[in-house]
Amino acid sequence: MSDIMIELKELTKRYPGTETPAVDRLTMEIPRGEIVVFVGPSGCGKTTSLKMINRIIEPTSGQIILDGEDVTDVNPDQLRRRIGYVIQQIGLFPHVTIEDNVATVPNLLGWDRDRTKARVDELLDVVGLDPDVYRNRYPKELSGGQRQRVGVARALAADPPVLLMDEPFGAIDPITRTRLQNEFLRLQQELKKTICFVTHDIDEAIKMGDRIAILQERSIPAQFATPEEILTQPANDFVADFVGSGSTLKRLKLTRVRDVNITTDALLGRIDEDKHVLRQRLQESDWTAMLLLDAEKRPSRWLRAPDFLHDRPVAEMGLPARAMIEPQATLSDALEEMLLGSAGVAIVVDGRGAFQGILDVDDIITSIQTMRDANAEFYRASKLIDPATAIA
Amino acid sequence: MAVSTAPQELDQEAAALGRSEDAAATKRAKRGKLVRYLAMPGFLLLLNIATFLWLSGQDLDSIERRTLTADNLIGKAQEHVWLTLLSTTFVLLLAIPFGILATRPRYRRFAPGIIGLGNAGQAIPSFGMLALLFYLFRVTPWLPSTGTLPVVVALVGYSFLPILRNTMVGLDQVDRSVLEAGRGMGMSERRVLRRIELPLAVPVILAGIRTALVLNVGTATLAFLFGGGGLGDVVYNGLSLRRIPITIVGAVLVATLALLVDYIASLIEEKLTPKGL
Ligand SMILES: Nc1ncnc2c1ncn2[C@@H]1O[C@H](COP(=O)(O)OP(=O)(O)O)[C@@H](O)[C@H]1O
Ligand SMILES: [Mg+2]
Repeated sequence: MSDIMIELKELTKRYPGTETPAVDRLTMEIPRGEIVVFVGPSGCGKTTSLKMINRIIEPTSGQIILDGEDVTDVNPDQLRRRIGYVIQQIGLFPHVTIEDNVATVPNLLGWDRDRTKARVDELLDVVGLDPDVYRNRYPKELSGGQRQRVGVARALAADPPVLLMDEPFGAIDPITRTRLQNEFLRLQQELKKTICFVTHDIDEAIKMGDRIAILQERSIPAQFATPEEILTQPANDFVADFVGSGSTLKRLKLTRVRDVNITTDALLGRIDEDKHVLRQRLQESDWTAMLLLDAEKRPSRWLRAPDFLHDRPVAEMGLPARAMIEPQATLSDALEEMLLGSAGVAIVVDGRGAFQGILDVDDIITSIQTMRDANAEFYRASKLIDPATAIA
Repeated sequence: MAVSTAPQELDQEAAALGRSEDAAATKRAKRGKLVRYLAMPGFLLLLNIATFLWLSGQDLDSIERRTLTADNLIGKAQEHVWLTLLSTTFVLLLAIPFGILATRPRYRRFAPGIIGLGNAGQAIPSFGMLALLFYLFRVTPWLPSTGTLPVVVALVGYSFLPILRNTMVGLDQVDRSVLEAGRGMGMSERRVLRRIELPLAVPVILAGIRTALVLNVGTATLAFLFGGGGLGDVVYNGLSLRRIPITIVGAVLVATLALLVDYIASLIEEKLTPKGL
């Protein structure tokens, strides 16, 4: 088993009646189990490049090697059943139920009814939709974000090793988009699919990509590297321009919550504990607030000393816990949640919503500081001016 | 769907969609639907009863009495229905496959021209078209100038373009991204046509079929030109013999049949339209 899942060799597309090719001799190796993002300005040939991989667009010349096998000339219908496909417009079939939509490829592969049904339920669960509620709905009865979840579930149905995604979160509102991105990254940690992901948004590229291909016109790679390298060592002016200034802020999108030190020893209580016990624990600690968890360890409410002055049941005291983030969220997401939740802290929870720790604004500032230092170090080393200090 | 769904399921659905329709509104909607279902048959029944009562009060002469027998009228109505169904079946068998073919990638570039022709064809008055065909059948020695065949040919010729046009428009308006998703997951071109394109085109195609049926019921009235029978005979008799009661009964029956066909077609349309649309 080689480490390379998809190999593109001199892949070229010349649309009929056009002078210059839309994709010009694209050669690239896509490692197994990684998310490779194609990013570049509109019209540079990202979509054309992606759609040549599953031959929705037939290449004019060149070769596509999938897992060691030359698939340039195999039956495209057979090929596509091995490759998941998600597009911006989602393209759910409006006249069939969510269940039948997700079952598309299993039905093509002739799975039996029980296996398909079990798989559909499993996948709806995986993408965060309750099968009992959504199975028999029609696409128009779902929100945009829910539809895109179904789109992802449908692409994963037959467990293809490769996934092609063309601006999958492009048409979704920013808040839902952030959530879907995070959920998708969490999913990918388990699935370890090889994913080609197209976007025109460099922030999304930095967030989602294990590796980023910055494409110039005719789909010519300006740089193919990890997000860190792209940010710290742009290969040329095109990349530097495209990535843009404000690289510190960009790095907030690059650093994940799991990569910084979060406070795991916060003062905790259980929602079913006695009020006096809780009060005493808060008084004896040097914390100003206590976080109450429910039976499943999910954060429920924040309590502070004055909250004990009112005669209320524990479950109604204080403020509801907000601003929850998962470890794979970026610091930028965390900051956004803090600002939205106006709490100054974000609560880190795992995939099931159970408490893991607390992240506050200071933690983020500390990590920005560290980054700045590292950056300055790098720029000094390469005899460049640190853009951060140059502007400031 | 609403008719067969249990109330609490409906509530759940409404709540999940962020609507706050209460049970009373649902009940009102159901009643509205029932009224809509019964209005047309009720109206037609009343119209025919009224015509019958009016006729009973008339002093009919022997010609009128001979023409206005139940046997004769039912026979003519049956001929009329038969002509309509026969020609509609033929036109569907011709126009729908042709419309599918004309929207395939290979022939797609002809599609706008054909749709334009379809639009123009609808503007030709039926009487003019029939008269033309009537003449054509008369002067062509090897074509029968009377009977069912010329009538059916004329009706098919006349309703071909609207059905073709609707089939093509119906297929054409299907969201490209839905088709791309289908192909992208490995559905063959034929499967995409059968499972996605056609079902999604059904509402527009059905509207075309309904139009054709109504056109054919109306135009079949002119079958008397070819001695093809139908209710047109009754109306024509009434006119040529100057018997007003015969003319009126014929006209009422033609109108009843046309409205009934349109009504039944509308029910079928509602039934066959895919649920998610
Ligand atoms: N079907 C087509 N026929 C002709 N030219 C096309 C077609 N599709 C895309 N192009 C052209 O190819 C170039 C690349 O398009 P595309 O791959 O969609 O870019 P991107 O996804 O990066 O925005 C553009 O200049 C576009 O106009
Ligand atoms: Mg694109």
